[in-house]
Amino acid sequence: MPRTTAELLALLDLETIDDNLFRGTQPGSILPRVFGGQVAAQALVAADRTVEGGYAVHSLHSYFLQPGDTAAPIVYDVERLRDGRSFATRRVLARQHGRPIYVMTVDLQRPEEGFEHQDRVPEVPGPDEAIDINDRIRGADGSFTEWDVLDFRYVGSSHDLLPADEDRPGRQQMWLRVNDRLPDDPLLHAAAFTYASDATIMGAALSPQGISIGTREVMVASLDHSVWFHRPFRADEWWLFDQHSPVATGGRGLVNARIFDQDGVLVASVAQEALIRPMRPSAGER
Amino acid sequence: MSEQSALEELMGLFDLETIDADLYRGRPVRTTRPRVFGGQVAAQALCAGIRTVDPAYTVHSMHSYFLLPGDPQVPIVYDVERIRDGRSFLTRRVAARQHGRPIYYLTANFQVPEDGLEHQDVMPEVGDPEDAVDMVAMMRSGGTPEADALAKEWAALGARWVGSSGRGLPDDPVHPSRSRLWLRVEGDLGDDPTAHLAAFTYASDISLLGATLAAHPVGPEQTQMASLDHTIWFHQPFRADEWWLYDQVSPAARGGRGLAIGRVFTRDGTLVATVAQEGLIRPRR
Repeated sequence: MPRTTAELLALLDLETIDDNLFRGTQPGSILPRVFGGQVAAQALVAADRTVEGGYAVHSLHSYFLQPGDTAAPIVYDVERLRDGRSFATRRVLARQHGRPIYVMTVDLQRPEEGFEHQDRVPEVPGPDEAIDINDRIRGADGSFTEWDVLDFRYVGSSHDLLPADEDRPGRQQMWLRVNDRLPDDPLLHAAAFTYASDATIMGAALSPQGISIGTREVMVASLDHSVWFHRPFRADEWWLFDQHSPVATGGRGLVNARIFDQDGVLVASVAQEALIRPMRPSAGER
Repeated sequence: MSEQSALEELMGLFDLETIDADLYRGRPVRTTRPRVFGGQVAAQALCAGIRTVDPAYTVHSMHSYFLLPGDPQVPIVYDVERIRDGRSFLTRRVAARQHGRPIYYLTANFQVPEDGLEHQDVMPEVGDPEDAVDMVAMMRSGGTPEADALAKEWAALGARWVGSSGRGLPDDPVHPSRSRLWLRVEGDLGDDPTAHLAAFTYASDISLLGATLAAHPVGPEQTQMASLDHTIWFHQPFRADEWWLYDQVSPAARGGRGLAIGRVFTRDGTLVATVAQEGLIRPRR
């Protein structure tokens, strides 16, 4: 997985195979399967490549179908669903070994003005006061560098540091950013954010059980992933990942997350449902 | 129109005609609306997806986009693509077509029921539906063609208004745009789970976008509204013909769009579904 923004940018720079057909590079990784955020980010770039200038992504919805193979590049096949005056819609099928592993639908819009409101940003310690967990992620010997392209500052979760809220037992808050400057192209920020938005998000669904994300007590596999981009923002400046899990049942947990920039502006919303199983199942099935 | 016929008409929507394997057609509907109600397309598409799935699997989520306004004068064709057939999960994509063009795409995921970790938000404290304002009766008394068309869309539903930001709900600066109501299908839907899923899907599109305008003092004549996407996570089975609370919050609106998230609670406080919708909300010039 990318350790630097340069490696992340390489990941987001797809090779054109044919009209509406692209291939992503596959960075080395010791993870057993491709990180979902990578597939989502590459699929978003593929969709955007097929849309003329003047449209910006405002939402994406996707399903993870099969674990991605980290040893093979991923092919992105784009279908043009709509080219309207105000909106353009694309479906992207991500394939490996002749099989679909992921499917995303993306909607893009010509920017316009309209009604404005937003939820108020929660009161949280700033990124400088929050807990730097990058070293913890790298492990005791510092060798686990898979997540190095992201900076994490942990604010807290329902079982740890956050004030009790009986009405909402599943919550987690985290500051994130890409660890170095990105070029100004808004699409790169949207794609880099999409990459990061699949990291840590299920922590909110595990917090009512006192389980922290990244532990081996549970197997977590993302089932779907949605992002609504309310306005452009920089993925390389701190943003608050305010995660709320309204419910977990039936082996699945849902998280709705709000993304605020450092000025308290609500810039994006994210939703993810994941399979949460208390033990490791046999490889390959989900 | 009697309640029974409104219910029959709603149920008739979900009784798709099989054209070929994985290809279905909805029945035409009497309506005075210039375009098909989004909840109808969503519910029919979901029914088409369910038809192609082994009953051992139940739908746990659907994501969809509205592409073009549906033409109420011709039936809608639903074309199902089998994207995945796994041991635990199945995925279907349904394209809704009219006049040779896609008007709506839905992707749905199905799972063999299993157990796991459990938690949920606590249901907000609201009054009983019996004590709340009957919205459908209010619409029927409107007397204008628009009100009659709206009342027709809601005809099979019971709706009791709880309140919205500034109107019946206490001010909440944390969530400035929200609204709550009780909903159900009026009558007996029977025991087929698909009927409840479809009826709920139909109803889930009827009020959610309104939450995006709760913070804005504008009337329907001042805004152009259209659903852009529609997402449902079905957490567990429930009856669509018994009251459920639709707790709708709009976290943000900007750029001509508003997003709303709805939590759905049954009367006993169980969180049974979550709905998300982004819509176009344009000030009419």
